[in-house]
Amino acid sequence: MKHYPPHIKITLFIALLFMSLLAIAPLYYMLSGSLQEGKTFDAIDIIPDSLSLKGYSFIFSSSRMLRYIFNSLVASISVVIGNLILSTIVGYGFARYRFPGKEILFASVLAVMMIPPHVIIIPLYRLINFLGWYDSYAALIIPWLINPLGVFLMRQYISSLPPEIEDAARVDGAGDLYIVFRIIMPLAKPALAVLAFQVFLTNWNWFLYPFILTSSDSMRTLPVALALLKGYQSIDYQQMFSASTISALPVIILFMIFQRRIISGLTAGALKS
Amino acid sequence: MFPLLYSLYLSFFAVDILSGTFKFIGIANYVNLFSDGDFLTALKNTTIFVVGTIPFTTILALIAALAVNARLPGASFFKPALVMPSITSMVVMALIFTHLYSPNGYVGALLNLCGIPVPENGLLLSEKTALTSIMVMDILIAFGYYMLLYLAALQNIPRNLYEAAELDGAGAWEKFRYVTLPHLKPITLFILVINTIRSFQIFVEIFVMTKGGPLNSTLTAVYFVYDVGFVKFDMGYASAAAYILFIIIALFSALQMKYFGGREART
Repeated sequence: MKHYPPHIKITLFIALLFMSLLAIAPLYYMLSGSLQEGKTFDAIDIIPDSLSLKGYSFIFSSSRMLRYIFNSLVASISVVIGNLILSTIVGYGFARYRFPGKEILFASVLAVMMIPPHVIIIPLYRLINFLGWYDSYAALIIPWLINPLGVFLMRQYISSLPPEIEDAARVDGAGDLYIVFRIIMPLAKPALAVLAFQVFLTNWNWFLYPFILTSSDSMRTLPVALALLKGYQSIDYQQMFSASTISALPVIILFMIFQRRIISGLTAGALKS
Repeated sequence: MFPLLYSLYLSFFAVDILSGTFKFIGIANYVNLFSDGDFLTALKNTTIFVVGTIPFTTILALIAALAVNARLPGASFFKPALVMPSITSMVVMALIFTHLYSPNGYVGALLNLCGIPVPENGLLLSEKTALTSIMVMDILIAFGYYMLLYLAALQNIPRNLYEAAELDGAGAWEKFRYVTLPHLKPITLFILVINTIRSFQIFVEIFVMTKGGPLNSTLTAVYFVYDVGFVKFDMGYASAAAYILFIIIALFSALQMKYFGGREART
């Protein structure tokens, strides 16, 4: 792949430059907008003539905004932790144990993966109401603690680990949970990193379910609050773009840090399915 | 599996909002849906969206992946730059694009500069341009993520295949045609299927940018389900609509697997 003729290389380079600029321009616009004071709807400059941090200082002094950020953090982090633990346990079960109905059970996990989430909003909404979880952290967290993709990813990864270490631990009297937490999880770090990123990404950015399953202002997550903010007439664009930037930054930073791992993990996960 | 069955069950009922009671009405919801102009418009718009975005998203993703993989200078800048929009919240992207598409926004100005006429009230408030504008936005946002998947697949192709091809006297094009492309078939199928499932459920952009308007020109299937179920609170009718959408998505995915999967994809 590295030996393209020069004219193809130049064409690819120009295409790449063009696509990258196109991709990054909207985000630059957001960042630029968050640093310009007192602008109205259409008047954000491409290059700000003076920088102002008022938008950010507003957000970090507004208890409502901090609450949205807090809600998003609580929900996303809880869901990530839940997925890491539960997917490893269930994935371990599928990878190492034989039990009647295992094939059917695993096939149904894969089938659930194919169910489009937005198509089941109504049954889920009614279920959450029935359980009395509507408009609470439970609604933002509990239904999402495990997902089929995570189970699939962990089963694949654990199947590829050599069983000898577990066998040795078992001879020494270790139980299943000890094996999962002390042996499997450390060994499965690359897969867990990918899973953590994927789950965090989904939940941090999620809109439809947090929107449908909560109603009070104090339960709103950041994306929901941002989407509803647009409806207000007297909206301050600097504040809106500052909040947007705060919403965009965590995933971008996480991606930059774990890039290599995420890409190699995608190889392992996506290609096998 | 439970929600699916429950959804099917609900779809046979009429829900009375005031009393909250359910009345069994058989398949009446389904019959009504197929003569409901709004629902048919929503299905039409959703299909246009899916068919009109996926080819571009996939091709852009492939070109970007090939380019990033060619070890050009600056690749460490390009890769994250391309991925950033796709990992940013769709709400945030939709807010930004609402600005860019507004009557005096930069996209309109750019189009004017190229001599393309722009509706006076902005790209999102004209029924002729609203859906297309959202589609273009979706392509720009989504392709970076699929590029990552392609990139992962490209890096998985054994290098000795290229060396062998070179020994046989293959040029750049032959190597691409006979080594790279066949190896990308499984990931292409995967990308097509997940992108189809995602695109059929397009909602956030619509909610933030247009609320289905103007004149239903951006009304999509999930927005219809949301509007009927959670604004008008007719959950039986909304369930039936959701179920039809589910069946359409399942059929599309099955077709893609059949036509694009073939035997080679399993290698």
